[in-house]
Amino acid sequence: MTQLPTPGAVPAEPPPAELPPTRTARPRWRETLGLLARNPTAAVSALVLIAIVLVAVFDETLAPDGPNEQDQSRALQAPSWGHPFGTDELSRDILSRVLLGAATSLRVGFLSVAFALVVGTLIGLLAGYYGRWVDDVLMRVMDMLFAFPAVLLAIAIVAVRGAGPTNAILAIGIVYVPIFARVTRASVLGVREEVYVRASRSVGASDLRLITRHVLPNAAPPIIVQTSISLAFAVLAEAALSFLGLGPQRPNPSWGLMLADSRGFIDQAWWYSVFPGLAIVLTVLCFNLLGDGLRDVLDPRQRTLMAGGGR
Amino acid sequence: MRTNRLLPLVTAGVLALAACGGGDEVDTGGGGGGGGDDVLVAAVSAEPDQFDPHVTNAYASFQVLENVYDTLVVPNAQDLTMEPSLAESWTTSDDQLSWTFTLREGVTFHDGSEFDSADVVYSYRRIIDEELSNAYRFETVADVTAPDPRTVVITLTRPTPNLLEQIGAFKGMAIVSEGAADEFDLQSEANGTGPFQLESSDANSTVLTTFADYWGGAPSIDGVEFRYISEPTSALTALRNGEVQWTDNVPPQNVESLEGDDEVELGSVTSVEYFYLSMNYDVAPFDNRDVRRAIATAIDRDEVTQAARFGAAQTNQTAIPEGSPWYTDYAPFEPDQDAARQLLEQAGVETPLTMGLMVTDEYPETVAAAQVIAAQLEPVGIEVEIQEEDFATWLARQGDGDFDAFMLSWIGNIDPADFYENQHLSTGGSNYQGYENPQVDQLLTAAATEVDPAVRGDLYDQAARIIVDDVSYLYLYNPDEVQAWAPGLTGYEVRADAAIDFENVELP
Repeated sequence: MTQLPTPGAVPAEPPPAELPPTRTARPRWRETLGLLARNPTAAVSALVLIAIVLVAVFDETLAPDGPNEQDQSRALQAPSWGHPFGTDELSRDILSRVLLGAATSLRVGFLSVAFALVVGTLIGLLAGYYGRWVDDVLMRVMDMLFAFPAVLLAIAIVAVRGAGPTNAILAIGIVYVPIFARVTRASVLGVREEVYVRASRSVGASDLRLITRHVLPNAAPPIIVQTSISLAFAVLAEAALSFLGLGPQRPNPSWGLMLADSRGFIDQAWWYSVFPGLAIVLTVLCFNLLGDGLRDVLDPRQRTLMAGGGR
Repeated sequence: MRTNRLLPLVTAGVLALAACGGGDEVDTGGGGGGGGDDVLVAAVSAEPDQFDPHVTNAYASFQVLENVYDTLVVPNAQDLTMEPSLAESWTTSDDQLSWTFTLREGVTFHDGSEFDSADVVYSYRRIIDEELSNAYRFETVADVTAPDPRTVVITLTRPTPNLLEQIGAFKGMAIVSEGAADEFDLQSEANGTGPFQLESSDANSTVLTTFADYWGGAPSIDGVEFRYISEPTSALTALRNGEVQWTDNVPPQNVESLEGDDEVELGSVTSVEYFYLSMNYDVAPFDNRDVRRAIATAIDRDEVTQAARFGAAQTNQTAIPEGSPWYTDYAPFEPDQDAARQLLEQAGVETPLTMGLMVTDEYPETVAAAQVIAAQLEPVGIEVEIQEEDFATWLARQGDGDFDAFMLSWIGNIDPADFYENQHLSTGGSNYQGYENPQVDQLLTAAATEVDPAVRGDLYDQAARIIVDDVSYLYLYNPDEVQAWAPGLTGYEVRADAAIDFENVELP
């Protein structure tokens, strides 16, 4: 490291994994985690997200009430020790429903992004690696999908297939496929012409081996970042679809549905809309901040800087 | 708020939807009074689909037409019994097959023409001959004749004790001037005898001006503007800050807090509307009477009513509200989950069983009520799957019989025939559940032609009890008709039939 790279005019620097092992002996993932831990925002976000995931996993144990436990004598009560988040118009405990709603939101978020990740990355890989007509055909289809506003497209898909969590997952998944395809393709285009790839090809490596051993691993960092940011938007899209009644159906707890139901009570029961709203804000914010942190850590240039500065 | 009334809700919805198809140009109605300052601004939830009283089924239209047209007789505000309006008096023949109406003198239409018996014959013949929305109300009418300008005779094929209710319960039976359908575009214009005349209508509001030559004496205000505000909270805010002086679009959850509010005057009366749950007789196990009775026993109506209306309603196990002379005091179901489980066992069905419950977001209180019902049925072993549909899909599925159960309301009107015939006769046009009980058929048919009110009431009583016992409908509650106005506004009365009459209103 004799000179610091200047932004804008960067030589194609090999990613750290390809550096001589003398530079660091730690496995790459541990180094990444270490760097991430030193970024307070990302670290806190990650911790909060872990907490949210734990809540989603152990929701039924944690929630003081069932999702539909009712007792009309306690409708629309303000937050108290008995009901820290208050109760809704059907006298259900809002804390319990926010906790139980976490599972719904995260399940839809994770599964839809997983769908988009797998399909989008595959399309991006093929388009970027083979180029020419494969690229043209695949990316024009992606452009068409991309031309629709995301939520509008999701609403259209759900409208055709019917409301429900499964269709919400599919709809949000389809919406994010083009984004993953584009990010992957851009990344692959850069990696494809690297010396190590050409060297590998010149000694007769098959396409499959090239893609899986050299191209994909080195094209991965932007995809990982995109995954985290997409999770934020997927949770938000799930809330939007639920709000419109196109996601999980009543009486299942879901943050978007709770927001929709709370509209008529906004002047009498602030807690009804505030707590589900906070849950959405917190989850989306954390995925976004984690995504930012990951970008800093995974970007080779930034990473070099951070690793260097940390020594 | 509901969009339709008078015709049972569901049918009304279909027709209103159909009516929306035509591109009705709304232009300004003809002539009439200048714009004074003393105009009452009323916030209503929906825009009228059109102004032809004989065609429309939309409640939003009748809110306006109530003030523009008259009928031969009219229900009074207190107990909805029929009083003279355009007819001053009437007599019936001994065989009950001929009714003679003597018409009021000195009545003029908004266009200045004199009102006489030819207008009545023209209006009724138009409804009958063109088979318009309310033609079924004239089912027993053989002929309508005008022996002289002050007399109208209605002859019947069989005794019709509720003829006055049929021709006077609402402005769907309004008297228009002879030849009005050719002379005016009744979709957007009006020529009635009422206290106000239709001035103009657009996408934001409908404006009425006072009719100076009104037979009952011209109203003291200069006119009425109906402004459409669909969001209840916005309507209430508009009332609070003086933008409007009256609204019927009051959010039920606010009723309690408004009662002690000095800025708003609140009027409320139990309405003739009723909410119910209906189960499909063609779908097992809901064809089993014990299963239906188990569900009726498991449901706690107080809780449902509290959640759906925040207490602004009366629970009821029959259709007709308490306070009506036709009320049937019968409430056989006590909420009891053990008894419900026992009934299910007795029916021999395997629990847990699943029941799809169809509701529509067009009537949000059904969505709230369904969630309470789901919670109440779960412990007895019935999994309720709430199916929330848009109203068009809801209506289509109801029509196709594609449901386990659904929830909605009817506006029952005044006469008991309006509450039971269409819904529970085996041949009833709105008997979507498929209820068939020869005894009920016989009772309802006999009641329809029974002249003695006491005997007639008794027949409907018996029919109602069987309907409740069989759970043809699972009746839930009669909602309150709640309206709010500015303090100081006088001469207005909230009516159980939800008719909105501004004739005697005086502004502060």
